[in-house]
Amino acid sequence: MSKKLFLFLSLMVVFATLLAACASPATPAGDSAQPQATTAGGEKPAQKVTLRVLVHQNPPMVAFMETFNKQFQDRHPNITVDMSIVNANDLSTVSQTRLSANDIDVLDIFGFANGAQPYMKMVDPPNWQQLIEAGLLMDLTGQDFLQNYDEPTIKDAGSYNGKVYAVNLGRVIYSGIFYNKKLFEQYNVSVPTTWPELVAACETFKAANIPCMTAGGKDGWPIFVGAYGLLGAMYPDQAALVEGLWTGTIKWNDAKSLEMWRKMQVYARDMMEEGASGIAGDAAPGRFASGAVAMFPGGSWYAPAIEAAQPDFDWGYIPFPGSDNPEDNKYWFGKYDQGWAIAANTPNKEAALLYLKEFSEPANYQAFVDAVGFIPTQPTAKLNTKIGAEIAPYLANFRVGYEQYWVAPKGAGQYANPWASYFKPFGTFDDPQQLADKVQADLQAGLDAVK
Amino acid sequence: MSYHFGRGWAKLIPYLLLLPGLFFYFLISFGPSMATAFYSFTDATGIRGAPVRWIGFDNYREFLFMGRASLDNLDALKRTLIFSFVVTTVQFTLGLIVALIVNQKLRFSNIFRTIYFMPVILGVVIQGLMWSLFLFPIGGPVAKLLALFGLRSEFLGGQPAEAFAWVIFIQIWANLGVTMMIFIAGLQTIPSELYEAARIDGANTWQVFTNVTWPLLTPSVNTNLLLNTIGSLQAWQLFLVLLGYRNGTQVLGYLIYATGFGQTSGSVTTSFRQGYAAAASIVLFLLVLVIGMTLQQYLQRREKRILG
Repeated sequence: MSKKLFLFLSLMVVFATLLAACASPATPAGDSAQPQATTAGGEKPAQKVTLRVLVHQNPPMVAFMETFNKQFQDRHPNITVDMSIVNANDLSTVSQTRLSANDIDVLDIFGFANGAQPYMKMVDPPNWQQLIEAGLLMDLTGQDFLQNYDEPTIKDAGSYNGKVYAVNLGRVIYSGIFYNKKLFEQYNVSVPTTWPELVAACETFKAANIPCMTAGGKDGWPIFVGAYGLLGAMYPDQAALVEGLWTGTIKWNDAKSLEMWRKMQVYARDMMEEGASGIAGDAAPGRFASGAVAMFPGGSWYAPAIEAAQPDFDWGYIPFPGSDNPEDNKYWFGKYDQGWAIAANTPNKEAALLYLKEFSEPANYQAFVDAVGFIPTQPTAKLNTKIGAEIAPYLANFRVGYEQYWVAPKGAGQYANPWASYFKPFGTFDDPQQLADKVQADLQAGLDAVK
Repeated sequence: MSYHFGRGWAKLIPYLLLLPGLFFYFLISFGPSMATAFYSFTDATGIRGAPVRWIGFDNYREFLFMGRASLDNLDALKRTLIFSFVVTTVQFTLGLIVALIVNQKLRFSNIFRTIYFMPVILGVVIQGLMWSLFLFPIGGPVAKLLALFGLRSEFLGGQPAEAFAWVIFIQIWANLGVTMMIFIAGLQTIPSELYEAARIDGANTWQVFTNVTWPLLTPSVNTNLLLNTIGSLQAWQLFLVLLGYRNGTQVLGYLIYATGFGQTSGSVTTSFRQGYAAAASIVLFLLVLVIGMTLQQYLQRREKRILG
């Protein structure tokens, strides 16, 4: 090969590589970049559209969404739904990156929470607020389908500065305990309504070599979230608890809190089965449904997974009896779970709105809550599920829980939380007083830093 | 020495051929590094369209000096150094021993090389999931093995020190193959005549190793030490897959990931704080730079002293 030819070919390779690197990326959603015919009133768009939908991993919800998407596509043959599923812990990250890259049309977003309160200092806005302020979420105010949902839901879980940016699809409870009815009957244990009764029930089961409780300790949070009922029983007004902690009127090492820590130690050390720290969060319902364990403190969202693992397994769901007074143990604490939002810059606005409109139709919504076991946010929907029947007796006592109010001050240490998982065997502490002092010191360090 | 690319403007060809590589280096590595340094002085959230304000050294002040959180960050820094030291030392030593063994002309040595190298190609997620199953405390294979001796362990869910030790073990298992291969490549460059001469002079196995193998392995030793040290200082993926966000186990790399991308515990909604995470990244970068440069200086002097 002559030197000139070699030189020419070399230059071609260099420039081809540079040009390839500088080229525009392929359109991620296929046909989505095509212009759409403008339609009024949410009628089906005329052009071919690929609607990009993002949801978090929740097996019954994903199964329902696959069915719904198929039905939606059948009704609108010009729309293809491209649904992505991510782990719940990664949802905010993926939402942020895909919204920033204009690579998503409809996204799953948890109920708005953890907003800065007037008594808080130097706190950053929560991620949903950051997304709204950056202009990445579409203003849904005035959309007809919003009228299908109850007003508090729209106001509390999806609005900011008087505008609606998300429609929330259901509340969940995280302060309850699933119990194995067969084992309770077999060992003649009555359903506990107070803390002493819960302790006695566990002692009975342990004496019979039956683990009292299980939870997905490997993921960490199921252990402390499982004990939020105990926190709720001690501090029923959780918004006031957060304000008290920030303003110093409540301390994690005062007498009342110390009682909570003592109970949490019993919960972590004596009630949880050996090896719970190795069970993943999504494996715990299966472990409970196997019938080997008497109780499973966990969120109401686990109910479909328990039913799927063992359809014939007989279980009940009760508020965590954290107080010695049964009247204190009649509350549910929880949060607004999954919701829908639309990317402000979506090129598929009509299709996205149509998707939410059809999802919000009462029949579809009812099928959704039946599948996932959420407490409905549409007033016409019914609690048809088994978990719904278990929740119903105390539903009037539903309260948004501590985690949805709490914002840690900058500079607070990593122990500044009311978490039962700090105790052995999940953590390193085995003295409630020592832990209470450590938690308060870590919180105080943050409060002092932002003074 | 003749110049392959000829004369005149043809001499530019090698430089032109470097351009694509340089372009990608600037695009993928240098550019983002500079951007990270810039963002570390801002309140950037990483959200497109969100305002980015210059806040000077506030992120560094918060990371290094603000409240108890800064002490937790320093604990993570300390843990990172411990992790790096143990991983480097053990992986280096084991890698050398394994390389010496499988470099022998033994039957099945190629099969053993493949087995030792196999974890490298699995990828972090597969490695993590595999060990999570192995170390499942209720009826998992290792738990059953321990039970035969009347022992039990919580493994990855146990006390932070125990969980941390398991991550060190898995990190070494996962990367031993690379260290071994680099040593094998080095061992195969040592002329067999030198071994024969040493044997004729009456050297025993240990003397052959210390006077022939070890000095001539110097380039491989340097490469492995640098790669192991820098790699382990930056490690974070296994912590994410095996442990998640757990007090007492985080290393700096994981802390950066968790902060920058709003990793949550429970259902708390956090903020996107990429400016703050960028500052933490720069701290980690400086740590790697200081340790890496010092180590490299030492290793270069050592190489010069031994090989001339």
